[in-house]
Amino acid sequence: MFETQIEAFCKAAFYPFLSRIFHPINELLNPIYQPWATLTAIGFFVGTMIWVCVLLKESYVNEGRPNRRWWSDLRLWTVLSMLPHVFVYFYFY
Amino acid sequence: METIIGLSNIDIAIITVYMIGTLALGFFCTRYVGNAEDFFVSGKSLPFWAIGFSIVVSDIGAMDFVAVAGATFRHGVSAANFDWMGSMPAMVFAAFVFVPYFWRTGVFTIPEFLGRRYNSAVQFLNAVIWAVVLFLGLSIMLWVTADKLMHTVLGWDAMWSLWLMAIVTGLYTFAGGLTAVVFTDVVQLVVMYVGGFGLLALSMWEVGGWSAMREQILAKGPEFQNHFTILLPHNTEGPFPWTGIVFGLGIVLAIAYMSGNQVIVQRTLGARTEWDAKGGMLLGGFLKSMIPLMVALPGLCAVILVPQLPIEEADRAVPEMIRLLLPSGLRGLMFAALFAALMSSISGTLNSASTMFITDIWGQARRWFGRPALTERQALNMGRGFTAFLIIISAILAKPIADRESIYVFMQTILSMFQGPTLAILLLGIIWRRATQWGGLVGLSLGVVFCFILKNTPGLFTSEDPFLFVAWWSFVFSLMITVVVSLLTRPEPEEKLRGLTWGSVIHSAEAQAALEERNL
Repeated sequence: MFETQIEAFCKAAFYPFLSRIFHPINELLNPIYQPWATLTAIGFFVGTMIWVCVLLKESYVNEGRPNRRWWSDLRLWTVLSMLPHVFVYFYFY
Repeated sequence: METIIGLSNIDIAIITVYMIGTLALGFFCTRYVGNAEDFFVSGKSLPFWAIGFSIVVSDIGAMDFVAVAGATFRHGVSAANFDWMGSMPAMVFAAFVFVPYFWRTGVFTIPEFLGRRYNSAVQFLNAVIWAVVLFLGLSIMLWVTADKLMHTVLGWDAMWSLWLMAIVTGLYTFAGGLTAVVFTDVVQLVVMYVGGFGLLALSMWEVGGWSAMREQILAKGPEFQNHFTILLPHNTEGPFPWTGIVFGLGIVLAIAYMSGNQVIVQRTLGARTEWDAKGGMLLGGFLKSMIPLMVALPGLCAVILVPQLPIEEADRAVPEMIRLLLPSGLRGLMFAALFAALMSSISGTLNSASTMFITDIWGQARRWFGRPALTERQALNMGRGFTAFLIIISAILAKPIADRESIYVFMQTILSMFQGPTLAILLLGIIWRRATQWGGLVGLSLGVVFCFILKNTPGLFTSEDPFLFVAWWSFVFSLMITVVVSLLTRPEPEEKLRGLTWGSVIHSAEAQAALEERNL
């Protein structure tokens, strides 16, 4: 009952203004689906890997590293932990 | 539909051994607790593997086994986005944007960091919001397990089961603090993965494998055609449109959760080195990527194996699968796994809520009223006292709070009410030196109000439950408000920002020591 009253108030007070913002955005986005959805999702994962491995300084990424062995490089860990997701979103395309 | 199953003596023995073992391990860790730093952040001694394991099991609870499987039963694999898009790359961002700053400043809590970066009002407001969320989460976790598992499947009295869980978990958390929480989590992860993958293997065997399962589900009718579509159209009526998943979940909710949730971040704050903190977060992300195999796929199998299950009771998919598929011995192991998931989540939440209460709510209130800071001993005792109080009050109020249809969407809706604004001020606080304390305070406050308005104004979005869009747009709104108010107010002094913003790395030991001065 109380929730219904809140919704009624918000609809009366804010819907006329907010709908003018969100409805055009929704109409713009409605026809955009595949392959852009999958490309955006995969791009998110790939972009993050590039950011860590290429754009960030190695000294910052591996600050506090216990040794210089290859397995302690956190850039490698980033790629290994992100790659399965790329395959998952590609598979379910 | 018959739902009650009996446990054999072997099952009960397995569960009993697991409970006693966990309690013993938790009490063993008491020897490592001598002061508040030990209780709240394990004396900054945690290795990366313990952090990674603990993050996963603290995040994944019995609620995930029940509710995500239920969401998958209803909506298909799109529900698994919460453990795929919803964990990576958020954990990468947490590891390389937020965790280094939290760890270097030596804070105990996220609100404490926000208090240093902005002001004490931001610290207090953020802490109160999270305290409420953690309390609700605790009640939900207790009730879901007691009602949907123990009562539904075993026929045990729900309240009796609830109190058993609360008391066992509360005891070792009370005694051993974060150290007990983390090291019991390590054991609980192993138990959880063994039980979870065991259920998955039997489920997949029963349905005839992945391809056979897919064919059978798609043949069931039009309402199942999207069950293997991970990214749904923007204008879907369900709660998981692709734009919401990528922007609302991937960018806002996931990063806010992994970087701003005390339960997750507290493990990294207890790391012995910055490398361990980051590595633990990345390891946790890798382990989390396997979670949908355990929690979501059984939900899909249930569509075939338990076809008579009504949609409104979809959260009972896993209990029904346990009843149907698991023989004696394996049932005990599976229940031990579910208890492990629940207990790790409860202990993590309890310890984090206690840490935030002492540091950011009680401690901050004392400062405002001019009272002296708590001593280490006082903080430790208060931390334990609040732990006991919180678990008791959560157990008492669990049923009235949590007895509703789709618990997972309800909890995500609650989180979406403030995570956007919190992420906005956290992110701007680190990457933009010009963000001021008043920008942060106004951005957070108005952002939460805007969330509330969006949530309660129907008809703005097509989705039946647009919490993902609420999260995204409240994030954008808070970003704008914080920027505008910051530009209209005086910049923060350089000395205040040292070590708290991107690029301002502290090199001098003296400055580092000053930065790490406790708020207690």
